[in-house]
Amino acid sequence: MATDKSEVLQGTLDLMILKTLQALGPLHGFGIARRLEQLSEDVLTLNEGTVYTSLLRLQQKNWIAGEWGVSENNRRARFYSITRRGLKQLAVETENWERIAAVIGRVLALEAKA
Amino acid sequence: MIDRALTLVAKCKALFVQRRSEDAFDEEIGMHLEMLKEKLEHEGMSAQQATRAARRQFGNTTLLQQRQRESRTTMFFANVGRDLRYGVRQLAKTPVFTAVCVLTLALGVGANTAVFSVMHAVLLKMLPVQNASHLFYVHTTGWPDGASQTGQGATSFAYPFYRALREQSGLQDVMAFIPMSASGKAPVRVGTVPEEAAGDMVSGNYFSGLGVGTVLGRGFLQKDEDDHTAVVVISESFWATHFGRSRDVLGKTLYIKSVPFTIVGVAARGFEGTEGRLPLEFWIPLQSRPEFNAWGSPVKRGTYLTRQNFWCMKLMVRTAAGLSRGQALAMAQGIFERAAYIGVAPKRAGDKPNELSFNEAKQFDAQDDSFARALKLLMAMVGLVLLIAISNVVMLLTARNAGRQREFSVRLALGAGRKELARQLLTESVLLVTLGGIVAWGFALGATRALGSWAQIHSNLQPDGAVLGFTLTVLLLLALMFGLAPLRSAMSSGPEMVLRNSATASQASSHKVRAGNVVIVTQIAMCLVLLVGAGLLLGTLRNLLKTPLGQKPEGLLVFGIHSERAHGKEESIAFFVALQQRLRTIPGVESVSMVDNRPGSGWSSNNSGLLVDGHKPNGIEPEQAGYRGNIVGADYFRTMGIQILQGRDFSDADSASATKVLIVNETFAKKYVGTLNAVGHVMSDPKGVDQDIIVGVIADHKYTSITEEAMPMLWTVFTQGGAVSQENVEMRVQGDPLAMLPTVRKVVAQIDPDIPLLEPMTQSAVFADSISQQALFARLAGCFGVLAVVLIATGLYGTLAYRVSKRTAEIGVRMALGAQRPQMVWMVLRGSLLLCAAGVLAGVPLAMAAGKVLESSLYGMKSLDLTSYLSAIAGVGVVALLASAVPAGRAASIDPLSALRAD
Repeated sequence: MATDKSEVLQGTLDLMILKTLQALGPLHGFGIARRLEQLSEDVLTLNEGTVYTSLLRLQQKNWIAGEWGVSENNRRARFYSITRRGLKQLAVETENWERIAAVIGRVLALEAKA
Repeated sequence: MIDRALTLVAKCKALFVQRRSEDAFDEEIGMHLEMLKEKLEHEGMSAQQATRAARRQFGNTTLLQQRQRESRTTMFFANVGRDLRYGVRQLAKTPVFTAVCVLTLALGVGANTAVFSVMHAVLLKMLPVQNASHLFYVHTTGWPDGASQTGQGATSFAYPFYRALREQSGLQDVMAFIPMSASGKAPVRVGTVPEEAAGDMVSGNYFSGLGVGTVLGRGFLQKDEDDHTAVVVISESFWATHFGRSRDVLGKTLYIKSVPFTIVGVAARGFEGTEGRLPLEFWIPLQSRPEFNAWGSPVKRGTYLTRQNFWCMKLMVRTAAGLSRGQALAMAQGIFERAAYIGVAPKRAGDKPNELSFNEAKQFDAQDDSFARALKLLMAMVGLVLLIAISNVVMLLTARNAGRQREFSVRLALGAGRKELARQLLTESVLLVTLGGIVAWGFALGATRALGSWAQIHSNLQPDGAVLGFTLTVLLLLALMFGLAPLRSAMSSGPEMVLRNSATASQASSHKVRAGNVVIVTQIAMCLVLLVGAGLLLGTLRNLLKTPLGQKPEGLLVFGIHSERAHGKEESIAFFVALQQRLRTIPGVESVSMVDNRPGSGWSSNNSGLLVDGHKPNGIEPEQAGYRGNIVGADYFRTMGIQILQGRDFSDADSASATKVLIVNETFAKKYVGTLNAVGHVMSDPKGVDQDIIVGVIADHKYTSITEEAMPMLWTVFTQGGAVSQENVEMRVQGDPLAMLPTVRKVVAQIDPDIPLLEPMTQSAVFADSISQQALFARLAGCFGVLAVVLIATGLYGTLAYRVSKRTAEIGVRMALGAQRPQMVWMVLRGSLLLCAAGVLAGVPLAMAAGKVLESSLYGMKSLDLTSYLSAIAGVGVVALLASAVPAGRAASIDPLSALRAD
C-alpha cells in the first residue's frame, strides 16, 4: 500500500489548486478535492481538510477569491476563482516548478547512465 | 461622547462579523463532508461507514477552524485583550506597588503638565487674532525728560506719538488701548447692583486692526474714536454671565462710571483683550470726558488727549504684507525720535536715544521677564521631579520583574515566544501609564487653577490641545520606556532558569546592583539640588515676610471710592471730606484716612526738582533732587501706624484755606534739609512757587513694595490739592477688617447707591500680594522639594527592602554562623548611608550651580547659604536612614532557621 501512494510535496498543493481553478474556472472545495483525486489517479493521498488550509492561505494572499453560490445538486456552496494576481503568481510558480523538475530530471538521468 | 458611541458600534459589528464568518466556514466544511459522504454511499458504503470514512478522509476539523480563526486580524486584539486581563490581574495582585507607581507617575506628570500649561499660556500662546505673526506690541527703552508716565514705562506712549505713528509710518494699522484705571477696572452697572469690570478704552481700529471678530453686532469704527461715541463692546464671557447669552443684548445700556453706554457688539469667544493677566470684559472707544481720563487719573492739567507729555497709551501695530518687522521698526523709530519730544523740552545733544522695539503678539505681553524666568526655573524643577519619578518607577518595575523571573522562565519553558513576553510587558506598562496619566490629568487641572490664582493670573490657563499633546507624548514615551526597560532582564531568564535553585538564581548580579546604585545616587543628588533650591527660596520668603514694614497693616481695611457725581475741585474735595467724617462715626472704627496710591500696591508718583527755604536742597542741584510723593488725608500716619519722629500728622484743620503743609520722611529730611529737625522749613518747586511748610517728619517705611530701599518721600493732603476723582480709604477697625465691609457698603450706599467699593481688601493683603510672585515661587519650590523627598524615600525604601528580601538566605546563614542582630542592621544601614554620602558629594556642586541661577530671585539670602545646604543634607540623610531602617529592622528579625528553610 505504502509504496504506490505518495504524500503531496510541500508547497505544491497551492500550485495545484491555482492551476485547477485556472483551467476549470470557479469550483467549490469539494470539487477541487475531487478533481485533484481524479488527476492523481489515486496516487496521491489527500487529507481533504488541507485543501481548505491552502484555500485560506491563497485567499489571504489575494490570489483567489471566494463567493457563495449554488452547487450542481442545489446546495449552498462557496465557489473559489483565481484572481488576476493569482494568475501572475501561477505563471511564476509554474516556471519555477518546471525549472526545478528539469534539474531533478537531469540529475536523475545522470544517475541512470552511471 | 459620539466618538465613544461609534467605537462601541464598531466593536459590536466586529464581533458579529467574526461570528458570521466562523459560521460560514463551519458550513463550508459541513457541506464538504456531506458531499463526500454521499459520494462514498454511491460507491456502496452504508451511511454510518460513509460518515466515518468521510471524517477520516477529511482530517482534523477543529484544527482547521482554529487556523481559520487565527488567520484573522482580530486575533491580535484578542491577544491584547488577554494580555490586558492578565496585566490587570498582575497589578491588582500587588496593590501597593500599583498605587505607588500610579501616584508617582501622576505627581510627576501632573506637576509637569500644570507648569507647562501655565508656561504655554504665558510664554507661547499667541493672541487669538487673525494673522498674529504680523502683529506686534510696541515697547520703548525710555522716555524723554519731562514726560509723565504710568509706571509701566516700557509700554507707555503719548497721544501725539500715537497720532504721528498712525499717520506717517506706513504701518497697516496702529491700535491704541488704555486701561480704565490703575487696577484695570472701572465701576459698571447693568441692572441695579454696582460692580467692577475690567475694560480698555481703545482706538477705532482696535477690533479690525487686531483681526478680532464679533459673535454679535459690530466692533468699532474710526468714527467711534473721532466722535468719542458712547458705545461699548462686551466680552463673550461678560455676555454669558450678565445677559445669559441673550441675542437682544444689542442696544441695551451698560453704565460705566455712571455714564450710559450702548452695547453694540459682543467680541469673539476667547478674546479677552491684550492685558494678559487681566481678562477684559468690555471695550469703549477713546473718550474725551474728564472722568474717562487715561488710567482713571484725575484731570489736573488736561486729559490724555490734551496733555501732550502724558505717556499713557499702550500701542500695537500690524505691519503691511511685504514689509519686514525690521523695516517697519526702523520707520517707526524715525517718527518716535521726532514725536517723542512733542510737549516736552527738546532733545539735548548727548541724550541717549530711546529705542523702540516690536514684541510678538503673545497672549501675555512680556513687560518684564522675571515671571518668564521664574516659570522656566519651575519647569526645570518639575522636570527634575519627573526624572526622579521615572527612575523610581523603573527601579520598582525592575525589582518587581526580577521577582518574576521564575514566571517568565516558566512561560518560556512552556513555549511562549519572546515576542509574547515583550507584548505582555508593554501592555502592563501601558496599563500603568494610562492609569497614572488619568490621575495626572485630573491633578494637573486642579494644579493649574491653583497656579493661576496664586500667580494672580485671571486669564484662562486651563490646559488646551497643545498641553494635552505634550502630556500624551510624555506618557507614550514613558509607556515605551517602562515596557522595554525590564525587557532585557526578563529575556535573560532562559527557560532553564526554572530548573535552577531559586536562592542562587535570585542573587542579583553585581552588574545589576551597580546600575541600581547609580540610579539611587543620582536620585539623591537631584533631591539635594531641589532641597537646596527650596531652602533658598523659602528663606527668601521668610525674609520677605519678616521685613519690617515700618507700619501696622494688620487691622486695616482698604477700598477705593470713585466720586461719580462730584465734579470740580471744591465739590470733589467736599465729597471725600464728608465721606471721611461719615465713616468715622461707624462703631468699631478707630480712625479713617485717605490715600492716592495704596502702600504696597507698587504704585507711586515720582517727581524731581525742589528748593528748600528758597535754596539748593543741601547742596544738590534742584533739578537733580528726586523724590516720591503721595497724597493722603487727615490722620493718615496715625491710621497707618507709622511713627512720627518730629512735628505732627495731617489734621482736619489742614483745609484748602489753611497754610499749605507737607510731611517728609527721615531720608528726605537728612538728604535735602540736612537734619532730622526739618519741621518749619519751607519747600517749593525750582521756581520758588508752590510753597509748602514741613510740619512733620516720619520714620522711613515701606511704600511701593517690601523689597524697596528707603527713598526721599513727601506727603501732601488732598484737601489742599486739586480735584480728586478717586481715593483709597484706609480704615483702622477693631477685629477682622473684612467683617466691617457690609456696614461700610451700607453707609456708602446711603451717600450714593451707584458707588461700588473698589477692590476692598485688608491692607495686609495688599502687601502680601506685592510678594505673591516670590511667595508662589518659593511655596511651589518647597512643594516640589517635599515631593522629591517623598518620591525618593519610596524609591529608596522599595529598592532597599527588595535587596534585603533577596539577601534573606545570606542573612540567615550569617546569623546561623553567629552574627549579631546589630551587626546585620549596621550592614544594611551602612550600605544606604554610603549611597547617600555619594549622592551628597555629587549633589553639592550641582546645587551650587543651581543656586547661581536662582541668585536674582533671592532676597536677603546668599546663594551659598550654609543653613540651606546643611538642612538639605540632613534631610537627605534622614530620608536614607528612614528608608533603610524598616528593611534593616526586618533583616535583623529574620529567624535564621526559617530563612534557610524557605529555600
